[in-house]
Amino acid sequence: MLSDLLERLEEKDRLALARLLTLISRGEQLADINTAIGARNETTPVVAITGNAGVGKSTLVGKLAEYLRGEGKSVAILACDPESPLTGGALLGDRIRMPSRPDDAGLYIRSLAAASGHQAVAEHVDLMIRLLAKFGFDVILLETVGAGQGDTAVRELADVVVLLVQPESGDELQWEKAGLLEVADVVVVHKADLAGAEKTEGQVKELLSLPGSREIAVLRVSSRNGQGFDKLWSAVVASPRHGTALDGRQLLRLAQQLLADRYRARGAAAEPILDRWKARKLDESQAAEQLLDLLVR
Amino acid sequence: MNEQAPLRIVLAKVGLDGHDRGVKVVSRALRDAGFHVIYPGLWQAPEAVVRTVGDEDADWLGISLLSGTHLTLVPRIIELLKAAGLDHVGVLVGGIIPEADIPKLHEMGVSRVFGPGTPMADIIAYLRSEGSRTHA
Repeated sequence: MLSDLLERLEEKDRLALARLLTLISRGEQLADINTAIGARNETTPVVAITGNAGVGKSTLVGKLAEYLRGEGKSVAILACDPESPLTGGALLGDRIRMPSRPDDAGLYIRSLAAASGHQAVAEHVDLMIRLLAKFGFDVILLETVGAGQGDTAVRELADVVVLLVQPESGDELQWEKAGLLEVADVVVVHKADLAGAEKTEGQVKELLSLPGSREIAVLRVSSRNGQGFDKLWSAVVASPRHGTALDGRQLLRLAQQLLADRYRARGAAAEPILDRWKARKLDESQAAEQLLDLLVR
Repeated sequence: MNEQAPLRIVLAKVGLDGHDRGVKVVSRALRDAGFHVIYPGLWQAPEAVVRTVGDEDADWLGISLLSGTHLTLVPRIIELLKAAGLDHVGVLVGGIIPEADIPKLHEMGVSRVFGPGTPMADIIAYLRSEGSRTHA
């Protein structure tokens, strides 16, 4: 079954690609897929688009994809929306704002549900990225659920992180809060057709010019009138890429994912431990140790 | 097979029908029932719907039609699904469908037709009992 899918993938079969992405998102046959896909094709840039809800991530990703198609580059989009922590359900609506090009083999869009607490993107996105790069897309765009403290993971997954801000979204101290600007390689003042865009651009530039700041491009883009996409792409290309540095954290993240998958698959076996913990016969760290023993065994 | 994996369903408005309240109510109910709902918005071409179903590796496609074009658009979509190698995807139709047309839609390959006033629980129960032919 898996070998059949991988064979079809070599023949550029989109349905095989779609099915493999499903398997990965469900945490199925991860080890085998991992081995088959191999290391990432380093020439394919992975660009993450992040920013607060309503700032226009999906719209910008859609317009950027159209711009890149116009430049002759094929594009794959992974668009993350939140999954309910209560029911596991999700309404994946990013496609509404993305181009519909049913005959265009050079554009692939996949909607993904990101579980809460999973760092603004869906699980196993790193493997999905490697799969899409292997399939041969020239650029991979990763749209996050939203900006916030979870974005450090995005920085490890993507080569370049584009942070969107919009006019009239608070005073300059809002940008100074930890975790927002510090993940960005390029800052886009989106909705630049609105009043106040220049002021916001000035505020961000001023903050980023404080001593000790990294070189970060700040530019205005309007998806409404199409202005600024050429400059945005130039800034992305010019940005030093970082996503590929190998360190222990990458392995740790994979190990955490595998552990979470095992927990889901063997939930029943963990019941006795949970019961003893709920009955307060075990304290939390004892229960966690036992759970770890069970899952690692 | 991971039994907890949620079903993925594409809900689609096709053609010039701009009435999307029904599909939004169904979207929310299915989301709250734990499904992953992909909604690409109004005015979709049949070709675009089929592309979405394929790229999203959906288990089900729900087509909402209130414009009376079901006997034109539904067979077109089903034909395109077959041509794309997606005949494993279950097709549901919702909206204003005259009684007399329901058997015709079934004959074309539609699994179920849900008319106005269908309790959400019926749709949810149906999908849960059928499960997925995509990921059998």
